Formats: sequence, C-alpha cells, structure tokens
Amino acid sequence: MLVLGPLGFVAPWILSALVALPVLWLILRAMPPSPRQVRFPGTRLLLGLRDAHPVARHTPWWLLLLRVLAIAALILGFAGPVWKPAPDQGGQGPLLIVMDAGWAAAPDWAQRQDRALRALDAAGAAGQPAALLVADGQAAGALPFQPAPELAAQLRAQRPAAWETRYPADPPAVLAEAPARFSTLWLSDGLEHDHRAAWLDALAARGPVSVVPPQGPRLSLQTGTGDRPALLLRTTGATAPNVLAIGLDPQGTPRELARLKPGAAEAQAGVASHPVPIDLPSELRNRVTRYEIEGQASAGAVVLADDSLRRRKVALVGDDRASEGQRLLSPLHYLRRALAPSTDLIEGGLGDVLQAAPDVIVIADQLSLPEEPALPEWVEKGGLLIRFAGPRMAASDRLSEEPLLPVRLRAGGRDIGGALSWGDPRGIAGFAPEGLFAGLAVPRDATVRAQLLAEPAPDLAERSIAQLTDGTPLVTRAALGQGQLVLFHTTANAEWSSLALSGLFVEMLDRLVRSARVSLAEPEKDQAEQPFWLPELVLDGFGRAAPPADPVPVAAADFAQGPAPGAPAGLYRGGERMAALNAGGAMALAEWPGARIESPTEAPGLDLRGWLLAFAAALFALDALGSAWLQRRTRRRRPDRGLA
Amino acid sequence: MNTRPDQLRAGAEAASAGLPALMLSAERLAAALVPGAHGQRRAGTGEDFWQYRPATAGDTARSIDWRRSARSDGQFVRDREAQVAQSASLWVSAAAGMDYAGAPSRPAKRDRADLLALALGMALLAGGERVALAGQLPRPGRMQAERIAEALVSRAALPGDEDAPPAEALRPGQRVVLFDDFLGDPQPVLDYLAHAAGLGIGGALMQVLDPDEEGFPWEGAVLFRSGSGALRHDTRDAAGLRDAYLARLAERRALLSRAALASGWHFGTHDTGQPPSQALLWLWSVLEG
Repeated sequence: MLVLGPLGFVAPWILSALVALPVLWLILRAMPPSPRQVRFPGTRLLLGLRDAHPVARHTPWWLLLLRVLAIAALILGFAGPVWKPAPDQGGQGPLLIVMDAGWAAAPDWAQRQDRALRALDAAGAAGQPAALLVADGQAAGALPFQPAPELAAQLRAQRPAAWETRYPADPPAVLAEAPARFSTLWLSDGLEHDHRAAWLDALAARGPVSVVPPQGPRLSLQTGTGDRPALLLRTTGATAPNVLAIGLDPQGTPRELARLKPGAAEAQAGVASHPVPIDLPSELRNRVTRYEIEGQASAGAVVLADDSLRRRKVALVGDDRASEGQRLLSPLHYLRRALAPSTDLIEGGLGDVLQAAPDVIVIADQLSLPEEPALPEWVEKGGLLIRFAGPRMAASDRLSEEPLLPVRLRAGGRDIGGALSWGDPRGIAGFAPEGLFAGLAVPRDATVRAQLLAEPAPDLAERSIAQLTDGTPLVTRAALGQGQLVLFHTTANAEWSSLALSGLFVEMLDRLVRSARVSLAEPEKDQAEQPFWLPELVLDGFGRAAPPADPVPVAAADFAQGPAPGAPAGLYRGGERMAALNAGGAMALAEWPGARIESPTEAPGLDLRGWLLAFAAALFALDALGSAWLQRRTRRRRPDRGLA
Repeated sequence: MNTRPDQLRAGAEAASAGLPALMLSAERLAAALVPGAHGQRRAGTGEDFWQYRPATAGDTARSIDWRRSARSDGQFVRDREAQVAQSASLWVSAAAGMDYAGAPSRPAKRDRADLLALALGMALLAGGERVALAGQLPRPGRMQAERIAEALVSRAALPGDEDAPPAEALRPGQRVVLFDDFLGDPQPVLDYLAHAAGLGIGGALMQVLDPDEEGFPWEGAVLFRSGSGALRHDTRDAAGLRDAYLARLAERRALLSRAALASGWHFGTHDTGQPPSQALLWLWSVLEG
C-alpha cells in the first residue's frame, strides 16, 4: 500500500495511467464535435463551394476538462484510495489472531471476520506465518502456525458458538509450537471470560498485543427471578431495546406476539441490568416460544420459553361433596373455572397432589389440615399455598391456632350484610399501586357479606394485599421460607361474597398464580430420574433456532452447567419435561492492561473507491448533458412540414 | 400532406378576401386576361355580331341574311366576331424541397405555393375565366375552384428534388403561372420557357422561398442535405459560405429573370415570411398586363 499523507492506495501501480491524461487531452481536443445535419433545399447551390476559412472546431475547454477529470477520477478510483488507512498491524513477525467466538461476538461477526481477514492479508503480503485461535472451547492441542493465505478459508468458515467464549485453559500448552516472538491481534467480544487474564499475560510476554473491541454494546437476556415472571436484560450500553415475545399466533404461524418494555436500569460495573416484566395475559404468554432482544442477532439475546415460563401446575384441594352435588355451591367449581384456562389443574387429596409437585396449592375452607408434614416443607421450598375462608373455618373455636395462615384469625368471623346485621355488604377497596394486584379494576357489584377477621398485629397492614372499603383485610399474604401463604378472608363460592362471580376473581387468581415460582427443587430431583436431556431445538450463535443435526444426549450434570460445547443453547426434552438452555447470562467488562486497544474509528480507513467511481459517473453524466446542450444551442429547429 | 381541401380553400378565400381590388376589378379582368371568349376584332366564328358585308362569290345562299338584304338591293352576309377560347394554367412544383419550412411558425413553401395558386385561380374563376392545373381541362365556374383545391391537396410530394412543368400540356391561348423554388436544375425551366414562347404563350414564374433560403443563417460545422437527401454538402464553416451562396442565388434569379423577359414572361419572388397577398397582387398585375 502506498501512503501519501492521509491517503493510501491499495493498487498504486494503476496511478501510472495518469501519465496518459495529457495525451488524452490532446486527442479529445483534436476531435471536433460532429456536424449538425440540416435539411436544406438549396443544397444544389452549395455544391462545389469551398470553405474560405476553415475554422477548426474544438471541443469547448470546459467539456474537455470535465472528461479528463472523469477519467482521472476513474483511474484514482481503481487505484483503491483509502482515507487515513489503518496502520499496518504488527507489521513484522508472525501473527496470532485470537477470535472470541461466543454468543457475544455474534452481532458484529461479519466485521470481525473482515478485520481478521485484513490482518491475514497483511500478514500474507508480508510473507509471515499466522495462526488462528478461535475461542469457542472446541480447539484442542497446540496451535500450528501456517502461511497466512491458508488460514483465510478456515477463518471464513468460522461461526460464533451458542455459548460463552471459552479460552483453552492452558496457554503454554497451546503455544508450544509457536515462534518465540509474534504479535497478536485479539478480536474481543468485550466481556470477561475464564482464563482471559492468563492468556493476555502469556501473549503479552511473546510480543505486542492489540485488541479490537466490539462495536456497539453487548446485550444478554436471561430469565429473571422474583415473584412475577420477568426477564432480565443486561447491556453494556446506555439504552435498552425492547424485548420481543415471539410465538405462534392462532393461525399457527410464528410472529411477534408482544413487545416488552425494559424497566429501570440497575447499573453495576458498567453493565446495566433492566428487569423486563412479562406482563401478558396467560393465554398469550403460554403461546410464546421465545423472547429475544429486538435487533440483536445473538444466542445470548434469546430466551427460549420452557416450562418455567409457561403454565403453572395448580392443585385444588377441597371437599367437593360439601354441597351435596350442587355444583354452583361448590367452592371448587369457581376455582376450577377461573384457573383452568391458564394453568394445569390437579385435583385430589392433599397427600396425592403433593406427589405431583405442583407450583400452587389452593385449599378451600379446610381446617386443621391433615397432619401432613410434607405441606409446610413444600411451602418452605417455594410453594404457593392459597387458602379460602368459609363457614367451617368460621365455626372453628381453634382458629387462632391454625397453622399455615398468613395472619392470625379471630374466631367467629364477621357478618356484615346479613339479615341480623345493621351494615350493608362492603365493596372492595382499590388496590395499592405497587402491590401484587396493582392496576386491576374493581367492579362495583363485587361485595363481601361475611369475612374472617384478623387479629390486630403490627404487620397486618403490610401483609394485606387487598382490603375492603372499611380497611379490613380481604387477602393477606406472608412468606414462609421460600414460599408464600395467601389467605382469602372470604369464600371461594358466592356464599359470603359476590367476588367469586366477578371477573376480578379470575384476574386476582391469575396474578397470584403467576407470582408462584417454579419449584427449585425439581432439577435436582430430576437428575436422578432423568440422567440425560435430548436436544429438540438448538440455537446457533446468531440466535437462529434449528432442529439439531446430530442430537446427542446431554448428561444432566452437564446440563446444569449451562450451554457449553456439546450442549448448545436450545430446548431440551427429558421425559415429560421441556427445559431450555439459554446462553445469555451475567456479563462483566473485560480489562486490557498493557494491550493496545484499536479504536474502531481508525480501524478500516475510509474507502474512497466507491465515491470516486460515483463522482466519475456523475461527471460523465454532466458531460453527456453538456454535449447535448452544445448540440442544441447551435441547432436550428428541424424543418417542419404543414401549415397548421 | 396534412391539409384538407376545405382548409386550403378556406385559407385561399381568406387570402383573396384581403384583395378587394382584385375582386372589384373583375370586369377589367374579363377584358384583359380572363374572359372565357376573347373577341379578336375581326370576323370569324363566334357568338357576337360583327358586321354586315356584301355577299361575294363563294358565300352560300344559306349564309345570306335575308332580313338585311330585303332592305336594299344587294345581298348581305351577317359576319360574327371571331372568338378564341383562352384559359389560365397553374402549376405548383411537387419536388421534395418544396416541403421545407425553416421554422414551425412559417408554412412550408409548398403550402404557400398551393395557397397562392388557388387564390389566383379563384380570382380568375370569379372573373369567368377558365382555369385548371397544368395538364387538366380548363373549366369555368365555382366548382372548378373545388376541383383545383382537391387536386392540389391530394397530389403527393415527389421523392426527388426535381419537378419540371409539363411542356406537352401547353396549348396556344393559355396563360401559365409556375410556382416553384427554382432551386433545382434550371435547364428544364429554360426549355419550357422557350417552348412556350414558340407557342406564343405568356405567363409568370413565381419563386417561393423560405427566409432561411434567402438569408442562409447557419454557422459552424453543418452537413447540408437536399430535400430528398440525394445531394449533400459538408462544411466546417457555414457562415463563410453565406456570401457565396447568396451570390449564387442572385445569379440563379438573374438567369430566370432574363429567360422570362426574353420569352415575354414575368419573374417574381415570394418569401414565405411575408403575407401572401403581396405576391397575389403582383401576380394579378402581371397577368392583367
């Protein structure tokens, strides 16, 4: 490359054609414009006449200048001019290219490949050997140094992996065959990974290291924690794009079902974490197959929906025979109708349903729960227990001793709207704006005639998540271990209140069930039962899903470690269960002590070729216009026949 | 030709309507140029009475006017004035060069020549003259104007640059008006004039030219092609040719003018940039004389 000041030429020998320009000028000058053709009846009178003073007709100088400029622009353009070309990397000595190849490298993979190819070209032009270390955790053995051109094909074939960038654990072993001194070009994805510091030290000891940081922020998406379903979007940039929920529409075609807005950021060491609440109706949410960050082609920006983001398993426990077969009086009837569309229901005795490991257990008006030691244990491990009051509880004189309630209850209850009371049925107060039921509309006709009252306690207000208009609690909640206890102070049927008849009942139950966490104990339990997971759908590094070409079962122990070589991100099936292995996770910014950081603006240099060629084309167009104008300026109008 | 007969006729009528003098002098026209039958001021066959003369030997008994003879002793014969039918013949060149118009605002030369010919014919017809295009039967009457217009319009342009008036159609007692640009070979025209002079036929030549042909406004490199494209002249400096061209044009006019004078004809020029009435007045004046 020839460099003149800020301008470099890729093919400087073409510039020798500029010598021909003066010759071209003379030739163009000598070529007269073509004569105008005129139809003239008096031509016979002209025959034999000679031009007295033949005037040499030259192309006007400005047209000439235009043409010569256009040719010059063409020559300059083909010489491959680059404005402020990147200084040659390393320049002398062998070259090692380290390519981070995890999901974080996927969004700008093409630019990375270009940059690496440029470096390879430069090394090939200098006749230096080169080596390529692709940090996708699959390379093994010592790294061979080869003539640079042979590596280009290998480099082009590389694709980012659907797991984190992984460096080989032992730098000296990999560099065993390397020359004593070499320069390193490290195409980093900007994130901290295992063994990176060791590699940086090892490489810096062998020669200069220049690091190409990624272009643009890195983003990752992960299933969030908390009592409401959410995702966690991490970004190294300032803004957080939307998250798209993609799933099958009712016609069965995959499309964007919703667009989730990330919440307020929580920054830590340069990485901002945005919670993204999945605020969707259950029916819609159960259709979502994947969540992805808008505009990020990366496996780390995709969360595949599996069981944990999908339907909750809800167990209904209650005495269905209490109302002697009258369905509309059975509390379980209303619960069944409310929960069936969005959850998987199990019914049965308490002991039976606990075997099925439900996420939520709903118990309607049951007192002194059978001495089932498994129930408190289940709640403490993260279960959500929802109980409803009822006449049986109200009639009990040992109500204050009842376990597994969020608040202590006063015996007897209260009858507000009955025949023997003075008051009217109470409405339901509006919900607190930041509570679990925030935003739900309260219907006017949902009233409560009877309820169980709580013993006054300092934390009663804190535990009430819904209240009547007189301030008495309607729904109370308390944590127990990792789980929760929830009590509705009224019945699940229409006996004490009309709440069960309103749409609010369904929405409240839906919110409650969504707040249940998927039991954490399950994977461990499964490890014994389910030693292998079989991939059903795997992602590539760009986050594109495809059926696995070669499904290899993944041992449960490896599966729990997250995506890795051999276990790419994707959907895995184990028996009845589907589990997703998602690549996105925590991120930490990498530090590069002692390395030269290549600034992205200096990197490629501005290629002027296209501009010059376009300029030449514009000049030629101008030339055509000018010629046409010149013709027109001296042309008389053509003879025209006819009178009218 | 994109002019319909009725358009041409309307144009001709408009042109001749601008000539009140022409229309008013219809009587003089009858005496001087146009009458259908010209009295020869001598005895002969004809319609009108000329004289009574005494019968001589050789007069048949049938020729004696008995009513006149009865008033005296001698026998008289009634002579009539000799009459010769005379007509006007019009000819418009159809050469390819006649379709030329230097600017869209100007009519083509042929259109102007057609207009002049028809206007002249209509004026003559209005005076009772027999008029026809060359080679056709001269007839009087208003309908003849329609026929002339039809023939002028329906005549196709020739592919070549030359069109000569038909010498074989010349008849004694005709007056002939030729409309042409006379930019082609002059020899056929000269021959025609000689032939006409031999027959005692008078007439007029009307040279119709475009202003471009009279002014030669071109400059720079120009390739000139004749009307049909058969002749070409390539020049680098058209402006330098102007003087030579104008000189040749003047020479051509002088040649035609001399030849016309020698055979008792008249030579006039008309510029399509000028209104046609001027040329019509001139034609009228020369035909009148």
